[in-house]
Amino acid sequence: MSNSKIDIVSIVESKLKDKVQIQLGQLGNAAVNTSNGLHRDVVKVMLEADEKTAIVAITGLDLGANLGLLYHLRTSNAFITIRAEVPKDNPKIQTIVDLIPGAAFSELEVADLLGVVFEGNPSSGHFLLSEQWPEGIFPLRKDVKANEVKLNPPPPEGARTPEIGRQVKIIIGPQHPALLEPEKFAVTVDGEIVTKVEPRLGYVHRGIEKASESRTYLQDVYLVERICGICNACHAYGFVGTVEKILKTDVPPRAKYLRVVTLELNRLHSHLLTLGHAGLEIGYETLFQYFWRDREPIMDLIELTSGNRVYSSLMTVGGVRRDIRDTDIPRIKTTLEELRKKLPFYRQIYTNEASIKARMQNVGVLSRSDAIKLGMVGPVARASGYDIDVRKDEPYEAYGEIPFKEIVYTEGDTWARMNVRMDEVEESINIIDYALDHLPTGPFRIDAPRNVPIGEAVCRLEAPRGELFYYIKSNGTANPDRVKVRTPTFANLPSFLKTAIGESIADVPPNFVSLDPCFSCTDR
Amino acid sequence: MFRRTISHIFTKPATTKYPFVKPKLPEDFRGETQYQVNACNVIELGSTDSLTLDVRSIVGVNCSVCVRDCPAKAIEIVEVDGKRRPQFNFDRCVFCYQCVESCPRKAITSSGLYELATTDKKSLIKKPNPNATEDTK
Repeated sequence: MSNSKIDIVSIVESKLKDKVQIQLGQLGNAAVNTSNGLHRDVVKVMLEADEKTAIVAITGLDLGANLGLLYHLRTSNAFITIRAEVPKDNPKIQTIVDLIPGAAFSELEVADLLGVVFEGNPSSGHFLLSEQWPEGIFPLRKDVKANEVKLNPPPPEGARTPEIGRQVKIIIGPQHPALLEPEKFAVTVDGEIVTKVEPRLGYVHRGIEKASESRTYLQDVYLVERICGICNACHAYGFVGTVEKILKTDVPPRAKYLRVVTLELNRLHSHLLTLGHAGLEIGYETLFQYFWRDREPIMDLIELTSGNRVYSSLMTVGGVRRDIRDTDIPRIKTTLEELRKKLPFYRQIYTNEASIKARMQNVGVLSRSDAIKLGMVGPVARASGYDIDVRKDEPYEAYGEIPFKEIVYTEGDTWARMNVRMDEVEESINIIDYALDHLPTGPFRIDAPRNVPIGEAVCRLEAPRGELFYYIKSNGTANPDRVKVRTPTFANLPSFLKTAIGESIADVPPNFVSLDPCFSCTDR
Repeated sequence: MFRRTISHIFTKPATTKYPFVKPKLPEDFRGETQYQVNACNVIELGSTDSLTLDVRSIVGVNCSVCVRDCPAKAIEIVEVDGKRRPQFNFDRCVFCYQCVESCPRKAITSSGLYELATTDKKSLIKKPNPNATEDTK
């Protein structure tokens, strides 16, 4: 069923003809305008028609008297946005968590930042905001000035109530040797077995979505690039790609290829980083050192092509900011060729090495149906046999012209998730090689207007960790009205919360690192 | 794995002896920016020799495109000895080089300098040199 083409738009149109309005070609393939809780009916119709229907994000908007909600859903071959509105003085709407469990985090985020009450998904305390943030003030509402909010005093250091009985609560984070970034996970264990995981996000919430509303589009490219140091080029592309959709600008072919090279270099170094980091988490430090040594030449290539080894700052509205020198192409190719020669050794370690197999196989197994239900993206989804890759499903830039394999494993365990990345390293090298061989001539950027006309658009791209989603609403001025970012780790976290339960506490680090978690992305 | 480990005894180390051996940087590395006062179109207050300057300069407003575009708000116009000049606060700079790109007069250029680490944050604020009217350093 999933392989045959399903025309989801006409199915929704025929089943809910007089109840909803459908705008074709807006915010993906179509935008469905609903009212009075009909968004649930649309979701139900979509779930019945296509088993691969999954939630991507929920965007909350301040529309003045009302609060707008955009449910962005992905089916096997389409991208649909459902619009709903709730009055600001009584912002209540029914949850969709019972239909799509993966929407839980997205709903909690909108509840925390915009104050929408989702009936059936009660929020307990803050989700992304600090504990000191006052109740009843929602930062994404337009009347809230973030720098004028008075924070509550920090809660007193009270005595923690010890857990009674066999169940013990182990707090991992926000400062913990195994976590490089701050986030808190309260893991309840019964003996050695994990029975419950409670996350507390928001320790690195910098309010970038709100901050981008007070900066120009040009400045925002650099601001969103700093959401994440590792996949910075992906964030910058997500922003400029969305702005270009509102502007209806088409970038020159050479820019499309140069963007692919930048994005794939980004993926290469990110995957090498996490493959090495996984070694560190399971105590295989030699592997960590080897991978990070071989990642260094890739960082040099990023420096060579962009001028800086971490922040490439290459993307701009209308193309890329600098061209690639013809004299640099041989060096890029030889460096990648050297890395390719080392790959069989690493692949052999990841597939055959006894310690890797012992620590990773059958750890954190996520079934395909759970991966769809919880809305997994990227290597985590592909390791469970859920074949989504935005580069294939909805090719952007030059990906439609470049042949490459979509890596899918069916085991669904930690081992498969790392091996998906291992295979993708080679595919990335192939993609860069192909792009450099077929680099079109011509300009690498065009002048784009600084002011963006009124409009809204969505953009999806395959970041190293999975599908990255951007939504931008423009009000015709120099600053955007709303920027929404849904990062891949935010979508992938429910996988860990589900699969850790019932496994040993010792399996928590390898299971967790196999998501390639990035909390700077998650919290924004 | 064992063979690989033995072979490392005979190979060149992966690390370099920084700071004794400096890495070779690509030619357009984004390091500390340099400001060329001669090229810039900031007006000198009280100056009458404005024939070569553009209209905005004649009415006494410098273009400030760098200040407007800087995403880190690291550039501000300060008055030094009656002259309005941009001041670069490298403690806030993110080295995106948007100012280099935006400057209509190419008055901001690249330098290969990357060793900006310091124990005194204030030393990263580059005050414009009031005497630098002729030389371009």
